[in-house]
Amino acid sequence: MTESATGMRRGLGRDLRRLTVFTGKRLLALLVTVLIGVYLTIVIANMGGQVDDLRLAQIETTAAEAVRADPAFHDLPSEERNELIEEQVALEVDRLRLDEPFIWRSFDYLYQAMILDLGRAEEMHSDAGSREVYQIIVERLPATLLLFGTANLLVFFVAVFAALGLSRRYGSAMDQSVIGLAPSSAAPGWFYGIFLILLLAFIWPLFPTGGMVAVPPPEDGWAYAASVLRHMALPVLAMFISQIFISIYSWRTFFLIHSSEDYVEMARAKGLPDRLIEQRYILRPTLSPIVTSFLLMLIGLWSGAIILEQVFNWPGLGTLLFEAIGHRDTPVIIGSVVIFAYLLAITVFVLDFLYAILDPRVRIEGGRS
Amino acid sequence: MAVTANPDSPLLEIEDLRMQYRTEQGPVNAVDGVNLEIRRNEALVVLGESGCGKSSLAKVLLRTLPRNAGRPSGQVRLDGRDVLALSEDRFRREVRWVRIALVMQAAMNALNPVVRVGEQVAEPLRIHRGWSRRAAMARAAEAFEEVGIAADFLQRYPHELSGGMRQRAVLAMALVTDPDLVILDEPTSALDVLTQASIMNVLKGIKRDRGTSFVLITHDVATSSELADRVALMYAGQVVEEAPAEAFFTAPAHPYSQMLMASVPRLRQEAAPVPIPGRPPSLQDPPAGCRFAARCPRRFERCADDPAVFHPDERHRVRCWLHDAGGTG
Repeated sequence: MTESATGMRRGLGRDLRRLTVFTGKRLLALLVTVLIGVYLTIVIANMGGQVDDLRLAQIETTAAEAVRADPAFHDLPSEERNELIEEQVALEVDRLRLDEPFIWRSFDYLYQAMILDLGRAEEMHSDAGSREVYQIIVERLPATLLLFGTANLLVFFVAVFAALGLSRRYGSAMDQSVIGLAPSSAAPGWFYGIFLILLLAFIWPLFPTGGMVAVPPPEDGWAYAASVLRHMALPVLAMFISQIFISIYSWRTFFLIHSSEDYVEMARAKGLPDRLIEQRYILRPTLSPIVTSFLLMLIGLWSGAIILEQVFNWPGLGTLLFEAIGHRDTPVIIGSVVIFAYLLAITVFVLDFLYAILDPRVRIEGGRS
Repeated sequence: MAVTANPDSPLLEIEDLRMQYRTEQGPVNAVDGVNLEIRRNEALVVLGESGCGKSSLAKVLLRTLPRNAGRPSGQVRLDGRDVLALSEDRFRREVRWVRIALVMQAAMNALNPVVRVGEQVAEPLRIHRGWSRRAAMARAAEAFEEVGIAADFLQRYPHELSGGMRQRAVLAMALVTDPDLVILDEPTSALDVLTQASIMNVLKGIKRDRGTSFVLITHDVATSSELADRVALMYAGQVVEEAPAEAFFTAPAHPYSQMLMASVPRLRQEAAPVPIPGRPPSLQDPPAGCRFAARCPRRFERCADDPAVFHPDERHRVRCWLHDAGGTG
């Protein structure tokens, strides 16, 4: 007995060590990935340094315009005026360090982006009045996370449990109808959103047409939360409708395939109760692919965020990006890309970490290499 | 737990067992009127080539049939009680792993990849006997020693075990509740010869020490002879010959048995192995009369009728007209 207890402790210690090594390696790899991604964005957004020429020309024009427009310099001879212009241009070039090669500055930009020093917006500002790109984005992020997180969790849990149930009643009328409804996912969430707004906000005004909270926002915390919930209902429902049937369908097929594994048959032969077989022998070994597809779905939904948030007038990252593109506000666009890269990396990291916890085979590979 | 009535009464009696698979091309008669008896502390080898219905027989006995299998008919009596008639829930609680355990074909994949081996081996004790985790693990450790794996390996995951060890772990899992009957479905077919031999030795030891009965389902004549007390040879869903091992291996009665023996290479024998020409008939639409007739060199007019079962001697049964009252054997 004591022997097996020490064995167990040893087994756990070994697992923990492997998990740590694995996690460290993945973190490093992801950091490099983000670095490369952000650096590529910087190089592309600056067209490999060619934007500098444009910028220089712009600085010269601006400086010349400013000097010419200023009545105080009207009387100066043109040579002195030109000198003044050149002085101003030199100052600006010095400030932006345009005289240095682009390649040096690009690393500075990279560093700034990585520490989330995203600079100042050209046109836009946050609702609180800040012009810091970071502030602008951070203000919008929670709204997006709340909306898409809720919708995804809902789809995920409903789909997994419905799929487990269907895989048991394979071929039933219920099963057939879910398969029949699966093509409904061909249309994106915002498409259903338009109809939902028409039906449930205009014809039967049960829900607000858009926005995140009533205007003016309720003072009381609970009332505020209730108002947000009411505003969330339609967009969440729209995403739910567009995702749910295909998710149930694909996971039900997945479970069907996995319930014919030898170890499931063995568990049945062992006389284990159905619920235990489902949890331990079907759900547990398939959890890592399920989590993968869940997180990939989450990432996929980000790309739909722009339109969905527009349709529901939701003050999230999607709306922000839409506005930034409209204003040609480059720092905000680049900042959004950087934040997006980080979000993606975090998602992948969470995925890797879950993998290692869920599947012992992943752990050993991480520990061995 | 069960009342062990008469030690001389058979443990398991299979009577006119039939089972079909539904396929798009029509029903397939995988088990087609099988009669067998398994006595206490006996090893019965069910021999046959691929697709003869021997694995389906194992699946019917433990009710692990795939979705497209029809309801089996006939009787399977365990200590005189028909277990085919039991409800699914009672069968699960009273028969599976309590009385009958299984060692699967393709045991490599018979272990859940994300659960520690020890948990899986101890599981039946916790479910069927309500043992604590600690007690069940201690018993699992004993079972591991019994089949020749160090108890340390209880903490491992299946992928950390070699093929032979996994097979042993699956065997330990079958023995952990001390069942009366263990069905072994091709337990060694994926293993090398040395591992095969050592697993066979483990089985022999368990049979001797615990009085467990075995049904060994295999296509491998050589390994089956190690353990067998009795042999039943299946062909196209039917048992064509059933005899004590000694009689079966030295003087097989059915022409198929004789040809099967001749097709196996032997170490100390000059004669080259002779293959059996042709193929087994389709189980969808089996030919009328003797199913082996098409491949049988000794067929005659009577083979067009379904052969009856004859007894060349007391414990020997053969389904062939040649043995009808003084036919040449």
